[in-house]
Amino acid sequence: MKFQLVFPKWRKLEGQTTFNLPPHGAVVFGATIPKDFEVEFIDENLEEMRYDDNVDFVGISMLLTTQVKRGWAIADEYRKRGKKVIFGGISTMLHAEETMLHADAVFLGEAEGHMEQVFNDFRKGELKKVYNFMNDLPPIEIVGPARRELYKRDLYYHKGVQMVDTFHASRGCKYSCYPCAVSYLGGRHFRPRPVHKVVEELATIDNNRLFIVDNSLAQDTEWEKELFKAMIPFKKKWCSHTIEDKPEVLDLAAQAGAWYVYQAVFDTSDYIKQRVKRYHDYGIGVEGTILLGLDDQTEDDIKRLVDFLLEIDLDLAEFTVLAPFPHTKAYVDLVKQNRIFNHNWDDYNAGQVVYHPKHMSAEKLQEMYQYAWDTFYKDETQEEKMFKLLKQVVSREIEDGTFKKRRQDLSKISFGQAVKPKNA
Amino acid sequence: MENKYQDQVYNFKGLWDLPSICGLKIVKKPAKTIVIATDLYDQNPGTSITEWNTKLAMELCNNFKLNPKEIIFIEHTPHKDTKLEFNRETFFQVNFTLDNDKFINPDWNQLTKEEVDNLISE
Repeated sequence: MKFQLVFPKWRKLEGQTTFNLPPHGAVVFGATIPKDFEVEFIDENLEEMRYDDNVDFVGISMLLTTQVKRGWAIADEYRKRGKKVIFGGISTMLHAEETMLHADAVFLGEAEGHMEQVFNDFRKGELKKVYNFMNDLPPIEIVGPARRELYKRDLYYHKGVQMVDTFHASRGCKYSCYPCAVSYLGGRHFRPRPVHKVVEELATIDNNRLFIVDNSLAQDTEWEKELFKAMIPFKKKWCSHTIEDKPEVLDLAAQAGAWYVYQAVFDTSDYIKQRVKRYHDYGIGVEGTILLGLDDQTEDDIKRLVDFLLEIDLDLAEFTVLAPFPHTKAYVDLVKQNRIFNHNWDDYNAGQVVYHPKHMSAEKLQEMYQYAWDTFYKDETQEEKMFKLLKQVVSREIEDGTFKKRRQDLSKISFGQAVKPKNA
Repeated sequence: MENKYQDQVYNFKGLWDLPSICGLKIVKKPAKTIVIATDLYDQNPGTSITEWNTKLAMELCNNFKLNPKEIIFIEHTPHKDTKLEFNRETFFQVNFTLDNDKFINPDWNQLTKEEVDNLISE
């Protein structure tokens, strides 16, 4: 039997460099599908939908809130043709009740250990409307490895350069940050994968560059150190979210191939300045993630923050505006205060203001968001700064003998599309 | 209820049956009962009181034999020890429409701490 697994497209933010990374959740889920099902993966960001393919069962994997309406439209098309559709993934859980209106089944929770039941129900024609495993998370030991062979690999190249592979070493998070829904999705428990399982999966990845997508690796020092020690022999180069700001951790991370990390920058303190410096001291780049529009921020605060980012020599900066995703504290606070004015999930892309900020109008915050991007990248574009980071990693790869030349056959192709000549 | 005032951590099943907790104080007055549900964000493994308030309020009425027409339901977010605005203490009175045996259409009205204290001590 054939299962078509779809990752819906979404509208990309204007003016930003777009890179299409191989979606992780879909292939992690793919690994749990019973072996007697042939699986075909469609990443709609890179290829056209094929509703009329001869498939028996359809899965829609949704990661982002800004993706859900497209996911629902896709499901409606398949269901018109008599196909059964199941939804899963992070934004399915965040939007479960709405998603049920477009689904034969929704799966809530983590897939490992549960898919035999779901697919058996499908075979018997007895799919349940909801598979609720929100409170029955699988043992972390049984997770992985992801089925990366489902990717159409050539689509994830930009001018012959392969994009990073996505990878995860843990689930859950012990923190409960204001704009984040992870604690709702995975409980407030950090669940690190056993390091030997991580190593086993790393060995299967034929890509020297990785994005470790974990919420935060900085949750268990001993595990983090053990993980980095185990990664050293692979000579991979990787980026990730925050790692711990401890000399022994930073040192091991650097040895393990830390390329750059995402670091939230929320104020103009010396603490942040020193933290960025320490990463740099260990040869680790820093992409600042800057959330705009919190109730503490005025227009002047945002201007000061952008000046500060330029002073502290960040390698890259990513600006977002607060998006009140369902089941976050940000969402419930703004709902109570009746401050959300836009409920169109397409616009929940963290680049569009959907609520009334406290110290400025929504229009002004939108303007300040653009100001932040424009000012930070005024003297050197995002693409130029990215190229500098890429050059650093290429030098290291050449040093340790892992550098792979760009693929000439794809040198004029970007994510499956012919690159337009600059003057065309 | 045996006690006129009650302070406790209340366990409830939230969205998708998630085990959830909140702080609870019930203050019975002759004509009204003030129910203060405290959101325990960092300790709560499940659903926030704001997302479950209609069901939670009715569940409390049933479990504590309160008249749904006579409760004043207050959502309390305690102060967290940070300088961030969103971690400050807040109180919201939630007004519901009573539709048969269900609360629907929650509508929030922010109260000051003094207003809440007055309600309790009146």
